[in-house]
Amino acid sequence: MKEYRYVVEDPMGLHARPASIIFIEAGKYMCSIEAYWDLQKADCKSLLAIMGLGAKKGDEVVFRFEGEDEDAAYYAIRSVLDKR
Amino acid sequence: MFETLKKHLKRGGGKREEILAPVQGMAVPLSEVNDPAFNQEILGKGMAIIPSKGRIVSPVDGVLSVMFETMHAVSITADNGAEVMIHVGLDTVKLKGEGFHSFKKQGERVKVGELLLEFDLKGIRGKGYDLVTPVIILNTMEYPNMKCHVGKQIMELEPIIEL
Repeated sequence: MKEYRYVVEDPMGLHARPASIIFIEAGKYMCSIEAYWDLQKADCKSLLAIMGLGAKKGDEVVFRFEGEDEDAAYYAIRSVLDKR
Repeated sequence: MFETLKKHLKRGGGKREEILAPVQGMAVPLSEVNDPAFNQEILGKGMAIIPSKGRIVSPVDGVLSVMFETMHAVSITADNGAEVMIHVGLDTVKLKGEGFHSFKKQGERVKVGELLLEFDLKGIRGKGYDLVTPVIILNTMEYPNMKCHVGKQIMELEPIIEL
């Protein structure tokens, strides 16, 4: 299992555009990718779930990767998030 | 194979489910929406409506699964499983809720035709925003035969998408 702690930087939180970027990247990997925030959990392979988290600027979202290609997925999600 | 058949039967066999128009206006294909997130169907397949009235009603019976704080977009999970997102205008997230009023909270049950949002059509357009409103099925993969009705003026609650 790998974990990545991400602090939301987008001033509008995880709205449609940033959520879709996570969703597209997550869809490329077999491992499970879940995002946790405020006692909620979102399957990153569901756009609706990511947007439904309601994470806002400054919130820390924890991404957990579990499965065979978790390393690759971890670096991929990190790279799209850190670019923003 | 049986799984797909079962799914098909569960959905009432030949009868397709309909998503109704959440807003009155001109129905256009997503390809005419000037934003790659929508015109490249990154968020999913669907269509868009150029609104002629500043109100959004629920297109289905279901649960309001997302209500952004900025009120520029909502998503409803229909009782039949379809995840419908309504995104009022392009880049309207930047308005931070200005010109929008919401009537329901995230997590609440909604009935088809119930008022979800009102927005200041003239005011928002006046600020230079494109108010074209994509209606997207987020779980597109589950509906390979989706059909959208575009290229005409539509009234609120007219059928726009067949799943």
